[in-house]
Amino acid sequence: MLFPTIDFALFFLVVFGVGWSLSGKPVLWKLAMLGFSYFFYAWWDPRFVLLLIAETLIAHVGSRRIHATRDEAVAKRWTWVTVGGLLVILGYFKYAGFFAVNLDNLLRGIGLGNLIPLIQPTLPIAISFFTFMAISYVVDVSRGQLEPAAPIDLAVYLAFFPHLIAGPIVRGSELLPQLKRRRDPNRIDYSRAAVLIIQGLFKKVVISSYIASAIVDPVFSSPSSHSGLDALIGVWGYAVQIYCDFSGYTDIAIGLAMLLGIRFPVNFDAPYSAANLQDFWRRWHITLSRWLRDYLYIPLGGNRGSQSEVARNIMLTMILGGLWHGAAWTFLVWGLLHGVGQVVAHVRRERRAAQGLLPVVPSRLRHVGQVVFTFQFVCLAWIFFRATSFTNAFAVLGRIVTGWGMGSNLVTPMVLLTIVAVLLVQQMPTRLGERLAAMWSNLHLAVQALTLAIVLLIITTLGPTGVAPFIYYRF
Amino acid sequence: MTAEVDGAVVNQTSGPQQPRTLAWRSVLGLMAAALAIWLLLDAVTLEHNAEVSPIGTRRSVAMAVLRPLAAISRFTQVSRLESTANGVLGRSTVGSGGHTFVVIAPPVVQANSTKHPPIHPSVTTLPPDPLQNPTAANPLRALLLGDSLGLDLGGPLQNRLASTGLVAATLDGKESTGLTRPDYFDWPAELNRAMEQVNPQLVVVMMGANDPQSFLGPPVISYGTEQWNREYEHRAVRFMRKATSNGARLIWVSLPAMRDPALAARLGTVNALQKAAAAKVPGVIYLSSNPSVSPGGEYTAFVTSNGQNVPVREPDGVHVSAQGGALLSEEVVHAMRHDLGVPIR
Repeated sequence: MLFPTIDFALFFLVVFGVGWSLSGKPVLWKLAMLGFSYFFYAWWDPRFVLLLIAETLIAHVGSRRIHATRDEAVAKRWTWVTVGGLLVILGYFKYAGFFAVNLDNLLRGIGLGNLIPLIQPTLPIAISFFTFMAISYVVDVSRGQLEPAAPIDLAVYLAFFPHLIAGPIVRGSELLPQLKRRRDPNRIDYSRAAVLIIQGLFKKVVISSYIASAIVDPVFSSPSSHSGLDALIGVWGYAVQIYCDFSGYTDIAIGLAMLLGIRFPVNFDAPYSAANLQDFWRRWHITLSRWLRDYLYIPLGGNRGSQSEVARNIMLTMILGGLWHGAAWTFLVWGLLHGVGQVVAHVRRERRAAQGLLPVVPSRLRHVGQVVFTFQFVCLAWIFFRATSFTNAFAVLGRIVTGWGMGSNLVTPMVLLTIVAVLLVQQMPTRLGERLAAMWSNLHLAVQALTLAIVLLIITTLGPTGVAPFIYYRF
Repeated sequence: MTAEVDGAVVNQTSGPQQPRTLAWRSVLGLMAAALAIWLLLDAVTLEHNAEVSPIGTRRSVAMAVLRPLAAISRFTQVSRLESTANGVLGRSTVGSGGHTFVVIAPPVVQANSTKHPPIHPSVTTLPPDPLQNPTAANPLRALLLGDSLGLDLGGPLQNRLASTGLVAATLDGKESTGLTRPDYFDWPAELNRAMEQVNPQLVVVMMGANDPQSFLGPPVISYGTEQWNREYEHRAVRFMRKATSNGARLIWVSLPAMRDPALAARLGTVNALQKAAAAKVPGVIYLSSNPSVSPGGEYTAFVTSNGQNVPVREPDGVHVSAQGGALLSEEVVHAMRHDLGVPIR
């Protein structure tokens, strides 16, 4: 069930009504939310609800064992076994086919092909997201940062439908306490939620869909057919498309949770206003980058150790972060590029620190230059993220370099305006959403309903017929 | 501090600059009212979208709800709001098919004029036939058409043909479409338009995966009957005749085997009917996709190419991967060289 559909709107009305009518009965509320969440997930494929339940059970049993023992070594073993079990499930569905193909190709090179069965398991939607949430829960328990939750609480935490399909990757410490607190049914922050949902719908249904069909998909599906200008703008267009698609989804998820009285963490913070890659990763898919930092980078050693050890930690984190997105070499290269960029920046910072130099406070012009440079680097990496293969990626790159002097047939004023508008909005701090929410919520209720309906009509009129799936739901 | 406003309990400390909060019943009423108003405003389009959806329970329920809403919308003239907006945007009032990934993508290699005169073999002073002797100045004009599977082939094929420098390939594809439901997307009309615009010497088509469903009529012709088979073959023949009406050659690419046995059986029927239609129309080459992406007519996710495993299908077990599309493109290029004598590498 995709968010921007009538099916989901009707579903959510029911969930909202039932949920709040049960707000004084926490156990029933949790059971209802769990039931609705499993129903929501089963809409995609009923079989995979069992997978979600299985991971919940693994996390539950493992965390209980970890918490119950006083022996640190035993606790550590249980942590490894539980996290390992969750990773095995993720590994099978997501990476087994990829590794089998590549291993067989390697063995073919020495005449030992056809030894490995080539499999292509159906990838359960959202498996990367709820597996990472389960892992963070188990590790937080093992670190003593979290008490094991009641089974029903854990089940709701992992399956809660607003975040289930494409995040944000919520920590146990962020959501579990909220499940215990009583939410006030008389003070629902509906206007902020509405602004978020409308904003998300506009970004996804209108902007992302338009840019994809107008320039990104044509350029990437047939680079040789288009000019260098088409290719370059197409790549910038993809940066806008993926941002609007993913942040749009997150806005809707946060808004829906808010309507149910639950607060999710922010997942995007104007990422294309970043002046360097480290800053970019503090603004892009924030919940994933902090997960990678806390559960991969820091356990590997983080910033401690020699320069080469830190570089190794950064590279491993970014490469695995790339592979999290998909089982393909292009995702690995995407992560690799970001890793290399961050290592270079880290080395430069360390050198300045070693020389006793303070960090440079850039002039406005220099800052703009840094933002532009960071954006271009991010776009270079996006080419590999979007491309279907290395051939495709280099074809697009090649077009950007050599395809000038030919007419453009895709770069229209509307395409340019859309891209520029999205990028510019990110450079401007604004409380426009808050002001809109305030203005709108102080209108008469009937007028609020009418304006909401008209805005929905504008979105559906401007958007394409039919609904394209969100990019990140396939991770 | 709270007070009651509009029947809702609100936070009275909220001033005009603060978003106010509401009790859940008021929020539910607000959401339901907004949804109802939006349904009324958009009812005509939603009714059309329901009409063109696959026949079944979901469609029946949707029509039962939306038909009266659309009637009210028309009667009260509120539907004019949307039709006016569509007019301003230059769109048809009703929907025009599924989510579009790629529409007509004019080739970068442009011939001298955008509208090309038809080729008359009897006029000896015209330039050489681009089909037999394409040049960069006078490239072979190819039109690539299809549904989502057609797009899986079309993108790589367009790219492959463009890289020769001798073929100007235009891609026109639309997801979720086919020959069975012209009310959803009218491929014969689209073909007419594309033929007029491009005037191709070569047309390549791959579609049919969405076709195993009943013809809406009236009368409804149920899928799985002899009558359906006859009507489908008839539509395919008409389509092929139109695609070759200006003297163009047509390469019709079959659908590959599917992972799901039931779907594989249905599309096997579609393939057979398309093949029979191709045999009835001069100038049509029926090209099997099996050798490149489903060897032996069986579904496989991987094939061996140049000694390496290549994933040719998407994990959904239906669509063709980019690598599979590239392999299939080579089959089309091979057919162009050997069956049509097009001198491209």
